[in-house]
Amino acid sequence: MNKVVVPIGPQHPLLKEPMSFLISLEGEQVVDSVLRLGYVHRGIEKLAQQRTYIQNVYLIERICGICSHIHTTTYCQAVETLLGLEVPKRGLYIRTLLCELERIHSHLLWLGVLSKNIGLDTIFMYAWRDREIVLNLMEEISGGRVSHAVNVIGGVRVDLDAMHIATLQNGLAELNDRVEELTRSIEHDRSFAARTRGIGKLTLEDVKRFCVVGPVARASGLNIDLRRDAPYGAYRDFEMEVPIMDQGDVWARSMVRMYETVQAIRLSRRIVEALPEGAVSVKAPRKVPQGEIVSRAEAPRGEVFYYVRSDGTQVPARLKVRTPTLTNLITLSKQLKDVQMADVSSVIAGVDLCIACADR
Amino acid sequence: MKMEDIVNDLMATLGLDNLQTMLGIPDDEQVIHLPAAQLLTAVEKLLELGVWHLSAITCLQEKCFILLYHFWCFGNLTLRVEVAEGTPCIRSVSALIPGAEYYEREIREMYGIEFEGLTNPSSLFLPDNWHAGYPMRTTDEQNAVAGENERKNGMQGGTS
Repeated sequence: MNKVVVPIGPQHPLLKEPMSFLISLEGEQVVDSVLRLGYVHRGIEKLAQQRTYIQNVYLIERICGICSHIHTTTYCQAVETLLGLEVPKRGLYIRTLLCELERIHSHLLWLGVLSKNIGLDTIFMYAWRDREIVLNLMEEISGGRVSHAVNVIGGVRVDLDAMHIATLQNGLAELNDRVEELTRSIEHDRSFAARTRGIGKLTLEDVKRFCVVGPVARASGLNIDLRRDAPYGAYRDFEMEVPIMDQGDVWARSMVRMYETVQAIRLSRRIVEALPEGAVSVKAPRKVPQGEIVSRAEAPRGEVFYYVRSDGTQVPARLKVRTPTLTNLITLSKQLKDVQMADVSSVIAGVDLCIACADR
Repeated sequence: MKMEDIVNDLMATLGLDNLQTMLGIPDDEQVIHLPAAQLLTAVEKLLELGVWHLSAITCLQEKCFILLYHFWCFGNLTLRVEVAEGTPCIRSVSALIPGAEYYEREIREMYGIEFEGLTNPSSLFLPDNWHAGYPMRTTDEQNAVAGENERKNGMQGGTS
């Protein structure tokens, strides 16, 4: 049978960000796919080597428009450790709270994208309606819906007063009910299952070989989560269960993300309840002593990795960023192999790609 | 198996004695210095010991190129390998760890290090008509030379 090559992207209604797939089909079946990145490459690693540590907080925040806070968290905790700073506990709690709010926001955004891609517009509208609650909460705290600029080297720049805490408690309670209902809905929805079960499968062996991270790995039975396995920030003070599934398909990834959203809401409520008193930041010197450091954190899409090398000046000698999407992307060709063309949208959305992160 | 035991086992097997510590979050990172010729043996041994997750490969440019292979498996470990300048080349680990392919392709594009055995060496990030050398290299002179070589040799990535 003759092969037909279908280009998807760099600009395509299926993709929310620019990337390119060349999908080879035999009939309706995908036999090969070639992927190309770089359409939103901004050279952030190079730019970071020309800016001071403080300027870099704001540059790095712009790596991603969804998980901006986790990037600055990973970077700031690296620089703080190089400086030997101890961030006040209240600062760490607020920082971690934002990480969890961002996870809720990211997972609800992903649910909307997946639902839209597979034609379930009702779930898309519910998911994005409910996402507004968490965006409003983040705006209430930081002044920004997606770029929060909350992290500074030495802590956070915002404090929570009684009014913030009341707003957070009310908002999170409302969100908890909505997300639990959404989770129940898609758990038992036959249309959702028909478009996601058995699609884009990855085995446990696959996810280990391809160094896959985050919900995609956990949906294939890999029990890893840095928040539990290598806790940082306020995660040291909270025990948590990690949702794991072993089917390895788009359905399992969806369920893992939904359970994680429910858990993130609960964790956020616990952080707000246990918020310690005190300062939120300490003053940081501008020059960073000579040294190198590796920093890891659990972003909504999995492990994010930073390497910072200092030569004793105000400007980093090297800043390396590895985002979870880059590692998860490599499995796409394997996931797309042998699926029907109509399921390509489900597989792509199931990975929860963030192209701006992968490109940097 | 604890990461400490893994490090000891690896160093004893390869006859290495250069172990350092690097800062890490939440735990410090063990850094093993090893010659480029022993890289694949070391990675094979790590896989055998159950360390499967390669978080990233960092490339540094100092007097020579330095590659840092950052592993994580309920503990941190970095392999540090030096690659001579000139026509830098090292064996690819992507046959052992397929997840390393994108890391190596990125370093190849940005620093001009060749990875011997890399199954798909085409461009991942840079445009097909990129002729401005290796963007992450530190000296302009090197960039200009590399760009000139690329133009002469037609080394730009394919259509993929």
